[in-house]
Formats: sequence, structure tokens, C-alpha cells
Amino acid sequence: MKKQWLIGGTAGVLALAALAFARAQDAQQAANAESPDNYPSGQPIAFPHNIHAGSKPGEFHIDCMYCHFSAERSVDAGLPPMSLCVGCHQVIPGTKNPQEIKKLMGYWQRKQPIPWVRIYKTPDHVHFPHARHIHAGLTCQECHGQVQDVSVINHRDPVWGGDNMGWCVSCHRKKGVSTTCAVCHY
Amino acid sequence: MTDGIKRRDFLKVLGVTGAGAALTGCSTKPAERFLPYLTMPEDITPGVATWYTTVCEGCAAQCGMWVKTRSGRAIKVEGNPHHPISGGALCAKGQATLQHLYNPDRYATPMVRENGALRAGTWEEAENLLAERIKSAAGNVLFVSAHMGPSMTELVNGFVRSVGGRRVQYDALSDAPLREATRIAFGVDALPRYDIAGARLLVSFGSDFIETGASPVERARELAKMSAVDEHRSKGRFVYVGPRLSITGLNADEWFPIKPGAEAAVALGMANVIVGGNTAAAGPYAPVLRAFDPRSAATAAGVSEDAIRKLADRFMNEGPSLALGPGVAAHHRNATAANLAVLILNKVAGNVGRTLYLDGGPNTPTRPYADMEAAIRSMAGGKVGVVMIHGANPAYTLPAASGFKDAFGAVGFKVSFASAPDETSAMADLIMPDTHFLESWGDSEPRAGLMTLRQPVMLPVPHFQAKHTGDVLLSVGKRLEHDLGGTTFYEYLRAQHADLHTPAMGEWEYGWQDALKKGLVQTKVPPRHTDTQLRAPHSALTFDAPPLDGDGDLTLLVYPSPRFGAGEFANSPWMLELPDPVSKITWHSWLEVNPATAKARGLEDGDFVTVTSPYGSVKVPIWIYPGIREDTVALAMGQGHTNFGRWADGTGGNFMSEVLPATAVQPAGVLGVNPMTLLPAVAEQPSGAFVTLATKVTIEATGEQRRLATVEGSNGSQEGRPIAPAVALASLKPGEPAESPSVEKGLKELQGVGGFVPVPAHGGTPQAFPLEGSREPPYDKPEETARWAMAIDLDKCTGCSACVVACQAENNVPYVGEDQVMMGREMQWMRIERYYEKVDATQAGDLDVRILPMLCQHCGNAPCEPVCPVFATYTTPQGVNAQIYNRCVGTRYCANNCPYKVRVFNWLRYTEHIPEPLNWQFNPDCTVRDNGVMEKCSFCMQRVREAENRAALENRGPIPKDGEIVMACQQSCPAEAIVWGNIRDPNSRVSQVSANQRTYRVLNDEINTQPAVNYLKQVTFHPVEAED
Repeated sequence: MKKQWLIGGTAGVLALAALAFARAQDAQQAANAESPDNYPSGQPIAFPHNIHAGSKPGEFHIDCMYCHFSAERSVDAGLPPMSLCVGCHQVIPGTKNPQEIKKLMGYWQRKQPIPWVRIYKTPDHVHFPHARHIHAGLTCQECHGQVQDVSVINHRDPVWGGDNMGWCVSCHRKKGVSTTCAVCHY
Repeated sequence: MTDGIKRRDFLKVLGVTGAGAALTGCSTKPAERFLPYLTMPEDITPGVATWYTTVCEGCAAQCGMWVKTRSGRAIKVEGNPHHPISGGALCAKGQATLQHLYNPDRYATPMVRENGALRAGTWEEAENLLAERIKSAAGNVLFVSAHMGPSMTELVNGFVRSVGGRRVQYDALSDAPLREATRIAFGVDALPRYDIAGARLLVSFGSDFIETGASPVERARELAKMSAVDEHRSKGRFVYVGPRLSITGLNADEWFPIKPGAEAAVALGMANVIVGGNTAAAGPYAPVLRAFDPRSAATAAGVSEDAIRKLADRFMNEGPSLALGPGVAAHHRNATAANLAVLILNKVAGNVGRTLYLDGGPNTPTRPYADMEAAIRSMAGGKVGVVMIHGANPAYTLPAASGFKDAFGAVGFKVSFASAPDETSAMADLIMPDTHFLESWGDSEPRAGLMTLRQPVMLPVPHFQAKHTGDVLLSVGKRLEHDLGGTTFYEYLRAQHADLHTPAMGEWEYGWQDALKKGLVQTKVPPRHTDTQLRAPHSALTFDAPPLDGDGDLTLLVYPSPRFGAGEFANSPWMLELPDPVSKITWHSWLEVNPATAKARGLEDGDFVTVTSPYGSVKVPIWIYPGIREDTVALAMGQGHTNFGRWADGTGGNFMSEVLPATAVQPAGVLGVNPMTLLPAVAEQPSGAFVTLATKVTIEATGEQRRLATVEGSNGSQEGRPIAPAVALASLKPGEPAESPSVEKGLKELQGVGGFVPVPAHGGTPQAFPLEGSREPPYDKPEETARWAMAIDLDKCTGCSACVVACQAENNVPYVGEDQVMMGREMQWMRIERYYEKVDATQAGDLDVRILPMLCQHCGNAPCEPVCPVFATYTTPQGVNAQIYNRCVGTRYCANNCPYKVRVFNWLRYTEHIPEPLNWQFNPDCTVRDNGVMEKCSFCMQRVREAENRAALENRGPIPKDGEIVMACQQSCPAEAIVWGNIRDPNSRVSQVSANQRTYRVLNDEINTQPAVNYLKQVTFHPVEAED
């Protein structure tokens, strides 16, 4: 009995402390809110991956590598340069969300890079060469989830979680490739 | 049921609440922004390096460079392998030019003096002001510049012609006496060209040719070639003649510790022996040769007559020989005569046209100080209305006695083009910060007939509004209505190379693009000079020992620092923390004193002394050095700055002072002293060179002491350990492969020590990996897995330390500051050990100094591994001892158990404290480690992985081609002493180099560590004692 109480108590105290800490940080962040056109999702422009890459009716089925072209030849998948967006969108004003494309053209005319919120990021001590994985026949979806079905990406794919090394290792084991630490950590 | 919480339960609770905190923590983290390019430049792929060809401007040698950039930032410089001078290597200073690019102390804007103080201005304002002042100066303009490329020289000459004035070249380090001597002797107004590699006996008369002078990298490569053992088991001999052993001198096989200034006597004494009675062979110099017979030479130099005769004999008979005349450290009042004497020696030995040529020599600075002296006189005389200074810092590099500061201060309007603060720009009325050479267009002509192009490798660092001086001059010229031939320096430069490409070869633009890519423009071959008759001197020259000022009992040598040059690298923390190749001291200055001299005065390492000359005095700690004569002391140039940036001035050198209260910081004492304080301002006759060997000094202990910030642990002794063994040339056996040493003794000694169970070694070579019985699982396909290994030829290594800085740049190794070095917390992944075996400053004889680059040995049987409680260090299937930073919890057990002392620990947040934009240099492919983490050489894992990735993408299998992966240290090595590759492949270069009877592995016989680093023993001419 006593043990349960102790556990509960300790958990409660720690949880409260954590909550208080989080509140303080929330307030801090609200004060730091950056851009006036902050989209509720956190992204400055509600870029719908599904409309671009999806294959349902009304979606354009563009290959991932059309925009993220460095993924197959570099360690970085990279962000497409804005000239690539504008290349299409100067003739495609958009049907569903024209106001978002106006935002894009606004950034372009102001010569201001779009301050995208970074969603996928490995820690600094992890080196993930995109090209090697694509060369090995992996699809983007295996790590990033069904991006072509998602409208605005606000979260990492829960399968990966972002800091789940076990998930990387299980795949490496399954495929019989190296699991030596220094393959990714150096 | 027991009361209380079990440890396991408690951890569960902690885990749950911890996860909660982490989750809420995540959601409140400020979002990381990810910025796209507006339009991506053509040659950039994110995550892939873009390389540009350019030319180093770190010194006047002008080595060809390849610059690695990532997303528009320069992150590493390397030698351009197609460049005939650098040959793909760079020196330590060349590596550190990146720290000038990102120097946080650079001027952010043009600066204008107003009411006595400098304030930030705009370029428009600055250029208008300069134009206005030039107009009112009415033709009295003086432009002082250092050595520049041909186009820039042309532009400046055009500018001063248009506005009315003159240009004076001032180089702090200049080879004027050699050039003058060549002109006197052979009527050729140029520096001679040496074929060092072609010589079998090289005698340096105080020429420190692998650290300063015309072309250190090229000459280090040639020295290594000359002194390496060849297939006939023969090698060239190198003799150093001079009062102090520089790092060049430490590579010699023999040392003649002559009295300062006695080079001419020894050279002429040798020439006398060579010609025998036939002094007429010396042409007009026959009387001089008669005056210096070997006996009088021996008396003048303080070495035995016999030694001089023997050396002369060898010089004549041991194949082609070559003698090099005194360099900057030996520029005394008779320096031209001394260089002339060495040329006469070369002539009588038949070396002119064999190892010494009078055409195609280096085109490096030879302008005399006398020019500057005249300029100082005209400034002091009020004859200069506007003075402009570019690339030179005379307020620091000239002694007070020169009167420069007063004369400069008296000029009505002083303009500096310094990109970062220096002592001269601090006095200026207008500062127009120049761009760094990595941000600039330009060209250079390092030797007659070789034109090279310089191109910007990145946009100017945005923190600083710098502007190329060429652009400034063109723009100011326009304001004054002078057309100088272009609106930008880029246009001007292109116009200068209009004849680069003939119409027959296609469009000019293609030729230009091609030249930029290669970095080279082939121009005409200079005419051969075949007339090698000696000519009579036009004025009386004295070959005697030079007069020295003062009546002190010690002669002061002032030498250019291998790290700082004449002071221009003093604000680079890499250079400050690089252990001096000779003394192994970092950060601060020291005075070199012979052990006998120190003992006679009761002095010990670190005792402060006051050094007094007739011209001034300085307080400096001493360092006891057996490689200097008893009657001589030495000080390096380059430190003791007052306005050169935070590190040079001593305000940024202590890490602790930034993170701890001042009381906790150990006082380090004086950081640096400027030896110019002790010198007069004398121009040598007839060359007009600045005299560095001019004065006698006295030293007096002040009673204070400090700990030297040295990285040396054993006073230059191997303490009986066979760390750097050598083998005598005579002991080399024909055609015999390297012996497999026995490991029996070592195994027995280690049995049962702390769970470390040695495994039996098979074959005793790095190929034998993984070791049988090791705890690592057997690798499935060893034939498909490389075993990475390194071979270092100690017979080639010169100890120049370029590898140390290259490694630091490649691997994001932080500098730690003087106070941290004093606590033994230096973090360089490489160090160069220097052991004295035989150094005798009292007589001419054999010199034996062992130099050994020490880095992680990547043991197959690593002592660091079993002691790590968290498996943060282990051996990879490729035999690399890997350090996994994210596993490391910082117990430091591994470092304690490492017999090679190659593991370094990040005690404080060193990397975090590297100021913006210096941290722009970080290599994004290599983790930036924070505090609490152990680190060490990773065999440039990021380079290995990059090549493996490339090989996989090109379906070339798991092992990249031999030579495809180049270590950063290997890349920079001027001596080409380091080889790296897959030792399992018998055809790889590392296998071939390692299959040598000189191969050994450090301490392997003693402790059976099975390192992956093979060393090839140094080869000596004299017998060595324990050849184990």
C-alpha cells in the first residue's frame, strides 16, 4: 500500500513540475511568435503534399524526386529552391487554396526565402545518406510515411518518431546491412 | 512484500514522468526553420561539396589550392595536386588561412577617423573622402604595398601614376641578399632555382627553407625526396650549418653549430679545400678564397678544421651537391656577402647548371627594406600628402628605431586597406577593409613563366562589408576622372589576360573558364640562362663575421616563426594552439637558451628573464633547448601584438576567463613579445635587406616563473621506450622483407590485468584482423571488407605540423586556449613527437632527432575498448577504432588506458564558445562534439563514408578504389610521408609501402596492441644503439 502511494506521489510531483515547466516555455514561445502570416499549422504556407504528389482524382502525382531532387545523389534530400515552385505556379494560380499560392508569390517577389518549419531532422550525431537508401530500393514512404496522402505535414511519421534508433536498426537487420555503430555515428 | 521503493520501480516512475516532460518539452521547442534557395546556383547540390581552384595568399610562395565549399561556405582548403608548387600539399599556415576568412575581428565596415576616434562609415563616404584627399594632396601620394599579383601590381602602378605619386613595396620577410648576391655573381637579377631532390648532399647555411623563404611546401617535398632511402639503399645527406636548429635544421643528418654570422667563412673555407691550390677556379674571387683557408674558417666558425675539410671533400665527391645561402633568420650586416660565398661554393663544386639554375627561380619578395627606409624619410620630411597601406603592417614588423610610427603619424591622411585590425590600421584616418583572398579575384606569378589565377570561392562573409582593393581603386579613380581600364577588378583582370588564349584555340571565354578550373595559365617558358661565369663584385664586400651592436655576452637570433610568419597569423587560434614544431610550446612566446647557459645562470624552463639589447628590452620565459649554441639565444617573430585581434592581443586566449569567475583563472603571464623591440633598424649593404641578426643581448632572471603551455611530456626523451626507433643505413639488408616481431614477452606481462585478455597475434601485421579469439563476432565476408590502415615514413616526415592543422580543420577539433593547454587539455587529434637522441651544440657532428606524428593507432586489440562501460568505443569491421559520441558518457577510462595518449576529452564547451563567424568553418559531415565527450582520430570516417557511398551509388562494390579516400593529414603532407588505404589488398599503396624492412608498430612488441598504423623507421647515416 505504502509503495503505491509513494509511487503515485512521486509521479504526481514530477508530473506537476514538468507541467509547470512546459507552461513557462509555452508563454515564452508565444512571446517569440515570429512571422505575421503564421499559419495555424506552424508552416508559413499550407503546402499540401497530397495535391502535388497524391494519385487520387484531382491530385497531380508528381514524383517526390522532382522537387527533392538531391535525395538520390546526396546525403541531403534538400528543399526545392523557390524557383521550382514558381516555375509551375506562375501559370497555376491554384483552385482549392489560391490564397496560399499568393503567399508563395509574395515571398518570391520580396526575394525572401519561405521560413519552412523543419519537421524531419536526425540529431547532429546521426548521418543519414539519403542517396544510399534510395539506391538500395527504399521508397521515401518507408521513413517519411504516406506523405502523398497528407495535406500539411505538421508531424513526423509516427512509425519513425524522429529519434527511434531501434527502428533504423531493425530495418538494417532485416535487410542484412551493417549495424556497426560507426555506419551512422561519426 | 517489502516496504519502500525498489530501484526498478523508481526508475519506471522516473521514466514515465520523464517521458511526459520530454513530450511537453518537444511541443514547446521553438521550431527550427529550414530556408530554401530562391534560385539554386547551378554548381550546388545540397549535401555535396563544391570545389574551387584558387591560389593561397598565406605567404609569398603562392601554392595552388583547392577549396571545399558546402552550400556556399568555404570549409576546408587543400593543395591543388596539379599545381607545380604545392603539388597537392599545403603548410600549416595555408590551412589556417580559413581562420582569416572567418576572423570575427575583421572590420565590419569602412572606418573613418572623426575627432580622433574611428567610427563606422559607408563605402560611398569612404571613397569620396579618399578621392577628395588625393585631389588635395596634389601628386604627393605614397602607396605602400606588400608583394602582390601581376594584375594588382599593374593596377596600383596605374593608379599612382594617374593620381601622381609612387608605390613602395615593403615585405617583412624578403630574400633581397640572395637576389643581390646572384646579381653580383652571375649578373642575373632573380632568385636562383634549386633542384634539391636532385642533390645527394645538401648543405643549408642557415636557410630555413621548409618553413620560410621562397617556397616552403615545394622544398619540403623535395627535401623528403632527397633524403628518402631509395631502392639502392642509398639516401641523400643533409647538413645544417648555423647557430640554431630550426625545424628545417632538426631534419639534418649533421649539424655544424657555427658562430652566428660565420656562414661565409665556412662556405669559402670549403671552396678553398675544393679548388685545392687552384684558387683561380674562383675567378675574380680567388683572393677571397685564399683569405679563407679551412683553418681560419674553423677559427671564425668555432668548429674543427677537420670537419670543414671532410664536409668539403664530400661536397665535391658525394654526387651532385647543393648549398643554400642564409635566409631571413641569418640576415646580418654581411648577408649579401654570405650568400655570395655560398654561390661561389656552388660554382666551384660544379653545381651551377646541375642543382642550381639561374633561370625559372621563384618570383617571391626580394624588395629591400632600404626602399621603405627612403619612404619613411619622405613621410617624416612632410613630403607625403596621402599614404595608403596595403597588405603590410610596418607599425608592427619594423622596430621603433625605424621611425615608421612617427613618420606615418605625421602624414596628413593615412589610409589602410587592412581587412582586420592591425597596428598600422589603428593609426589610420580611413580604413577600407579589403576582401579575403578566398573572396577575391586575382592572379599570381609564383615563378617566371607560371601564371595562376585566383577566384572567389564564396560570396564575401556577410558579417563584413569588405571590398576588393582593386575595385576601390577603380572606383576612386573614376571619381577623380581617371580611366584605369575597367569598372570592376574582375573586368580589369580579364583584360590583363586577353592574350590567354589564341583565336585558333577557340573562344577566349572557354580558355578563361578552363584556366579557372585548373588554376593555371601556361605562359611563356623563360629564356634559359647558360652563362655561369663568376663576375667581379661592383663594390667592396666583406666576408668576415658581421659587427653586432652592444656588449652583451649573448647573440640574439630573431627568426620568422613557422606558425606566424612575420606576425600575420598571430590572430588564428589554430596557429596559436599548434605546438611550435621545435619547442612544442603553444600560445605564448619563449626565449631559447642552451642548457649549459641556463645552468650557468641557474635558470630553469619557464623562468622569466629580461632580455636587454642597446635598443630595448623584453620580459619573456625561457625554454631550454639543446639545439642552440651556448653563446646565442633566440626569439621567434610574430607575437606581442597590441592591436591585432582578440587572440593575438591576449584577450581571447584564455577559455576559463570566459566561463569562470576571474579569480579561478590561472594567471598565464606574458602572452607574446615582439623581438623587433630589441632590434635596430638597419639596412644591409649592398642589398638593403632588413637586418635581423644585429645585436648582442644580456639576460637577467626576474625571479618570476610560469608553467610553459607546452604539450611535450618527456623533455624530448624517449625514456628508453622504442617509440621512434631508427635504423642505420649500413644495417639495411638487401631485399629482405620486414621481420615479424615476437610478442611473447608482452603477452606474459599482461596476463590477468583487469580483465584485459590479450589475444594471440598472428603474423603481427595489420592485415591479421579481426584477431582470432577476439570478442568481436567473426565478420561474414572478410574478403569484402577493407582493413583500413596507415603507413607513415619517418624518413620523410619533417615535423612541419601541417597535418595537425589539416586534421583540426577537417574534424571540427576545437582550440581550447592557453590555460587549458597548461592543464593538459589540448584537443588536437594529432601531435608531432620530437625526441632528441644526439644533439651537440659544441662541435660539428651527427645530429639525431626523431620526429614522429602520433595519432590514434586504431589498434586491433585496443586497450581503450574493454574499459569503456558503455561500449562507446569499439573496433569496426574495417578495423577502425571508432568513438561513438552519443554513447560516450565521459568516464575517461579509455584515455587513461590508452598507451599512446591520443584520446582527448572535451572538458568545457569548447566548440560552443567558438565565436561567429569562425564557426562557419565547421565541416557539416562531421559531428560537432560538445563537452563531456571523448574523441580522437576517426581515420576521417566522414571521408571514408563519402567514398563508400559514392562507390555504392556507382555499383562498384563495398570497397572504394585505392587512393579514392585521402585522409586530411595525408592530403596536406608536403613530404608525402603518410599513406592510407586497405591493407588487406596486397596491391594497395599502403600495403606496398608497409612491406618494408623498416616497418614497425609503436609499442606493439611490448603490449600487443596490434595497431593499424605502420611506421617506417628513420634511416640514419651513423650507427644507432638499440635497433629494436
